[in-house]
Amino acid sequence: MKGNREESRPFGSISDIEARFAAEGYIADRMLATTLFLSASLGKPLFLEGEPGVGKTEIAKVMARALDTELIRLQCYEGLDSNAALYEWNYTRQLLELRLQEARGVDRAHIGDNLFAEEFLLQRPLLKALRSEGPRPPVLLIDEIDRSDEEFEAFLLEVLSDFQITIPEIGTLRAHHTPFIVLTSNRTREVHDALKRRCLYHWIDYPSFAREVAILRVRLPEVELRLAGQVCRFMELLRGHDFYKRPGIAETIDWARALLALGVAELNTAAVDETLGCILKYRGDSEKLYQLGLPALVETALMPGHDPAAAAKPPA
Amino acid sequence: MRKMETAAASGLPTLLEHLAGFARALTDAGLAVNTGQLMALCQCFTCIDIAERRDFHAAARATLVSRHEDIERFEAIFSQYWEAPKQLVIKRRQDDPEDEDEAADKGRGARLMLPGGEGSDGGERKSLRLSWSPDETLAQRDLGTLTEADVERAQRLIRDLVAALANKRGRRYAARRHGRLPDLRRLLRSRSIYLADGICPLPWRSRRISRTRLILLCDVSGSMQRYSSFLIEFMYALRRELSDLEVAVFSTHLTVITDLLRTRGVATSLCQVAERINDWAGGTNIGGSLRQFNERHAPHMLNGRSTVIFLSDGWDRGDAAEMRGEMAKLRQRAGKVLWLNPLLGTPGYQPLTQGMQCALPYLDYFLPAHNLHSLSQLAGVLRAIG
Repeated sequence: MKGNREESRPFGSISDIEARFAAEGYIADRMLATTLFLSASLGKPLFLEGEPGVGKTEIAKVMARALDTELIRLQCYEGLDSNAALYEWNYTRQLLELRLQEARGVDRAHIGDNLFAEEFLLQRPLLKALRSEGPRPPVLLIDEIDRSDEEFEAFLLEVLSDFQITIPEIGTLRAHHTPFIVLTSNRTREVHDALKRRCLYHWIDYPSFAREVAILRVRLPEVELRLAGQVCRFMELLRGHDFYKRPGIAETIDWARALLALGVAELNTAAVDETLGCILKYRGDSEKLYQLGLPALVETALMPGHDPAAAAKPPA
Repeated sequence: MRKMETAAASGLPTLLEHLAGFARALTDAGLAVNTGQLMALCQCFTCIDIAERRDFHAAARATLVSRHEDIERFEAIFSQYWEAPKQLVIKRRQDDPEDEDEAADKGRGARLMLPGGEGSDGGERKSLRLSWSPDETLAQRDLGTLTEADVERAQRLIRDLVAALANKRGRRYAARRHGRLPDLRRLLRSRSIYLADGICPLPWRSRRISRTRLILLCDVSGSMQRYSSFLIEFMYALRRELSDLEVAVFSTHLTVITDLLRTRGVATSLCQVAERINDWAGGTNIGGSLRQFNERHAPHMLNGRSTVIFLSDGWDRGDAAEMRGEMAKLRQRAGKVLWLNPLLGTPGYQPLTQGMQCALPYLDYFLPAHNLHSLSQLAGVLRAIG
């Protein structure tokens, strides 16, 4: 029993996760690493919440790479139902099979007997994750669960609690091995408590200045430390204000990339103005920024006080 | 690893006691913790070193917290409990911030009655001649002038109006005799396809009917209260047709009263509402109330299918910029936003008030709501949206 559990543990320790994530270019803080470790060790789904663009989806992708396994993604939307999430019968093949059997002269009493066998089953993400035959359990990403409706949540609850799926025509299919499940939510609506309680919960906040600089440097090695510091400082300042959509890390990286492409070596008002579309995606938000006074913000971001050189050093 | 587990085993009773105490402290602070979550936390101890404070903390937070709003409270209780369990002062959740003021305002608030009751300005309300008026006339009467006898008949009228209101096609399919799409799964499972020579009746399916979710935000300040109570009455009559109806009232701040409506009848609960809301019929701060709604209630109440209905005359003493911002946020989240303004029924009325000016760009519909006839228009609009 104990040996089994040891064997099924994909990671040796929390630091192991930190290291393997760092190797894949994802800087995870200790709290996230611990939660990931627990989730992987206990086989409990991980529920990630946070503002858009803080790297929720990325975690699942990195996890799949770190575990060297398959990533199966289910993007949620309103009206998502079991046909799209779980399985569907391949009707075309079923009808063809009927005609073939007729042509072959199969006995009437037995015609169509095999129509509801697994070979006619189209596997959708959830079933695919449960039936995965790979050497290691796959990573199942259920993305933006807040976009689906309550009915789908209830259905998911059933799948996540037993890791099995009942198909009326076949019977109950069990998971070969428990997949590593990541659910993400942007909190456009509250997901039901019952579902969350099946999971380990983790809230991803905006990164600290030092961590954001580190992330930026890992993702965009060509960006100068000086510019990275200024960019992250500016983002930090922006997030202190109440925008409709506050920029996330994804925006930071996009923006830095845009600045690089324009050959900007040091932040200035004109450059920010030209590239504002990378940071703020709503007209009201851009207007608000101009009201706040863009030049003053840029100036604050350029002020010394933050030492990116010290901050960007990888933690020992 | 093994060494750690034996250590945990020997310290088990005290550890469990501590955990139970911690869970109790969390529960007392309004963070409901169930046994399943505690067991999950105990499971975690098999793979982390619980002597390592930050790991223990991460495990506790991952298992015991399931909402972002709870994190702050959790952190406070965590540090208090595990540093000095004895000195823990449990902060209770503020269920009802109005508690203290409630008694003082009872007299004023309790005056709320159904329209036509003890309304504040009722000079024109009693009219014997109109009390036997046929339904058509009743439908044209201003809601503020209805007598109690009228109200009863008006309610009947309302129920007739709205039966078809909430029917709406969803995105899921259900088997149906006269559907839009052939139901191949049922076809292949039925025996008829194997028996007939390629000719058999097709089973059909179509979108299942799902129900609209309505969120009602009613202005209860000043002259609006009688219209609001009537609209609540109106919507409440619809509650069997609607899978979901949330009702909130606002003036200087916002209060959700859905629960109250659910447990009592409309008439009794409206009186209770008046007791609960001390600023009933006070000044108006639409922007601030809306901010409160967006922050506290919108995440779990709104989805792309929900329709938000305002009832207000748009007299706003709050900050215009704030209101515009909050309207924009609401617009992003809700499926449809409707605004009912009783004054719109007045000939020559122009929506020039600050509040109306802020709101207009974000509305799907701007409708009158001063008599039953206009409410029937509303029912028509809601049906069209569905």
